[in-house]
Amino acid sequence: MTEVAIIDAPAAGDTRRELLLTEDRLGHYPEFRAFFIRAFDLDRVGLARPGHVRAPSGLVYALVFVGRSGEAFPCGVEIHAVVDALEPLDEAVADRDLWSILQWMIAGVGPPWTVEDLRATGRLYRIPAAG
Amino acid sequence: MIQDDLARTEGFRTRWPHAARYARVNGWRMHYVDEGHGDPVLLLHGNPTWGFLYRDVIPPLLQAGYRVIVPDMIGFGLSEKPPREQAHSLDGHIANLTGLVRQLDLRRLAVVCHDWGGPTGLSFAMNNPDRVRALTVMSTWAWAAPPAEFHTRVFPWRTMHAPLVGPYLLGRHNVLAGRGVYLSVVDREKFRREAQPVYEAVLPDPAARLLTWTWPRWIPLDAEARAARRFAWLEERLARSALPTLIVWGREDDVFDAATFAARFKRLLPHADGPHLVTGRHFLQEDSGAAIGALIAAFLGRLDGGGAVR
Repeated sequence: MTEVAIIDAPAAGDTRRELLLTEDRLGHYPEFRAFFIRAFDLDRVGLARPGHVRAPSGLVYALVFVGRSGEAFPCGVEIHAVVDALEPLDEAVADRDLWSILQWMIAGVGPPWTVEDLRATGRLYRIPAAG
Repeated sequence: MIQDDLARTEGFRTRWPHAARYARVNGWRMHYVDEGHGDPVLLLHGNPTWGFLYRDVIPPLLQAGYRVIVPDMIGFGLSEKPPREQAHSLDGHIANLTGLVRQLDLRRLAVVCHDWGGPTGLSFAMNNPDRVRALTVMSTWAWAAPPAEFHTRVFPWRTMHAPLVGPYLLGRHNVLAGRGVYLSVVDREKFRREAQPVYEAVLPDPAARLLTWTWPRWIPLDAEARAARRFAWLEERLARSALPTLIVWGREDDVFDAATFAARFKRLLPHADGPHLVTGRHFLQEDSGAAIGALIAAFLGRLDGGGAVR
């Protein structure tokens, strides 16, 4: 779990954001939304800037939170890889990183959600990153 | 592209020889099959399948002289697949189905429901009783509570469609159409050989798989659930329904187990024929399609022979 760390926004440099995962309903289980609010101080930050994490590969990922009229904020989140502007994404690396980010999220959300259950689900459905 | 992939899938055209038809319903493009003549039978699939699920159910119905209509739910199969979760709601899917039936002006319908085809098809039937003459229910439900024990478990069900986990597992990795269905049939080798590539081919990209993790989030787990009121309405209407009904269930079903769910349908609709148990887990049509088709044809034949249509 310590392999994923929240970091300050990296220098933009010659990079682009590559969209990997979109969640339209972050509050489906409200404790997930509460986790992101705590982790990225969203009650104060709001939509001002994305959150960033560094994943085990060393790649940085931007978490772009989404607001929607009439719904608690954030209602959604997008995960983008921050990659060299003109280079294609290494999909296998990104997939392993996403799996690590999901484990980090589940650990942060806490019971009844457990990393062990997530890993077991990944193994049941033969997710390569779950081993 | 999907059609090309399907055409390249070994044996697909033999198993699914039906012409593709399309209708604009409720603002979406819906694919359906329409074969045969006679009183219509509407075959409704659920998550994450499409009309192909009924490939072995169709021939006995055609041979018995019925017209068979098999729509693909918006978001599945060869129908349009909206890219946003907000495009999907239980009421919206009921309206989609209603749009198709009215456009085709189907009457004297036998509505056959599986999985999410149950809440949608049964709600359509309760709201359009003048068009429906009989029901068949298979591995589905029609009430808000209690949920299936399977759907309350954190491992694997709730974890599988949790925020961000759903888009990762079911979106990026297509686990419901692939391994998920595989785990919910009896003859897994036959399924892997004949059907799994077909189910996967119609959901080729993560964005196309949106409904596979959206539907699970519509299953009511408590009284605050989005669909709780619609399910309460449906149960109340069904309890007053005298429509002839056939209950068919998979003996090995461990999602909606027969002892709980088929039995509750029987209590809700005491006049129902069945439950008839066949070989099958949740996707019972994969293991017993022809037998199910014969059961439905015989049930409708008894209605027609007895003249007790309504």
